[in-house]
Amino acid sequence: MARQEDIVTSSENEVFDVELETDILKANKELALANHAKLKENGITAIDVMGSVGSGKTSLIKAVVSLLKGTRRIAVIEGDVTTTIDADIIGSEGVPTVQVNTGKECHLDANLIRKALARLELSNLDLIFIENVGNLICPAEFPLGSDKRLVVISVTEGPYMVVKHPMMFHEANSVAINKIDLADAMGVNPSNLKRDISQLNPKATVVATDCRRMIGIREVISSLGVG
Amino acid sequence: MHEFSIATSLVDTLLEFAEKNQTKGKLMEVHLRIGALRAISIEQLKFSYQVLAKNQFLNGSRLIVKESPAMMHCPKCGFRKEFEVADDSYHFTLPTLSCPECGTSVDLEGGDEVVITKLRFQPASKR
Repeated sequence: MARQEDIVTSSENEVFDVELETDILKANKELALANHAKLKENGITAIDVMGSVGSGKTSLIKAVVSLLKGTRRIAVIEGDVTTTIDADIIGSEGVPTVQVNTGKECHLDANLIRKALARLELSNLDLIFIENVGNLICPAEFPLGSDKRLVVISVTEGPYMVVKHPMMFHEANSVAINKIDLADAMGVNPSNLKRDISQLNPKATVVATDCRRMIGIREVISSLGVG
Repeated sequence: MHEFSIATSLVDTLLEFAEKNQTKGKLMEVHLRIGALRAISIEQLKFSYQVLAKNQFLNGSRLIVKESPAMMHCPKCGFRKEFEVADDSYHFTLPTLSCPECGTSVDLEGGDEVVITKLRFQPASKR
């Protein structure tokens, strides 16, 4: 018979584990779903517009709004770290805007969008553009509750923007290659950018745009199905 | 620096857990499973966690992260394989999202989770 001291027993001082399966980002996902449900209740299509700093997200939204505002009831949520510059630019089109300042965060999240939606008369809207903070990495991690993602890049960002940020493009519905008028000056071939995007995401529609001359804007509208 | 937001959600989740469960003992380790496709820098996440975990329940605990894979699946020929980041020596992934068998663009499955899998405690001293 084994002696008491030979038996291996767990000591009271032993570490113990608690097994879990808790999704840390659940709170954001749930808020995103709630935002989505709220938008659907009001028959609103929401487009999340992402892209790096200075790619022309605001200019593209402004151009799209200028063509659509006669037929669709549009609002724009503008995300930025600080200032109301973008909301003021879009506001000049005469559509409702909400500026969301993240303060120190590099992306919008579903809670900020929930608060922004509360500022809008949703029953009077058909379409909402949400301009995310300029950044090609972080916003992809935080769903907002939108229907589609439009990613804006520009030739001035150089030839490697797409291959450096594959996940952003893998999730996109439409991609605008902006400032196409500067392609020659930059020595960037837009068809190479287009090829990189199609390789990552053949389902995404790719449109070359020049917002100053309103080139490609109607194609962006039809690629998003919001015309 | 979205790692700070994720660390904030992690701390909130842990404090909620502590409130609901009267766990006896000192929290030593927080085990996480993070999908390979998540653009999360583990080092920055750990740093943010240390900054935020000043609460008595969390103080002194450390994060242990395990990466979970994403699967690539070819919609055309059915090829399936674990998705591999082509070149880890750079801080970005290269676009290898095409099927090695037939060249079709692949679908990605999984690899996007951020989950707490285990909390490890040291029993409270009996003195």
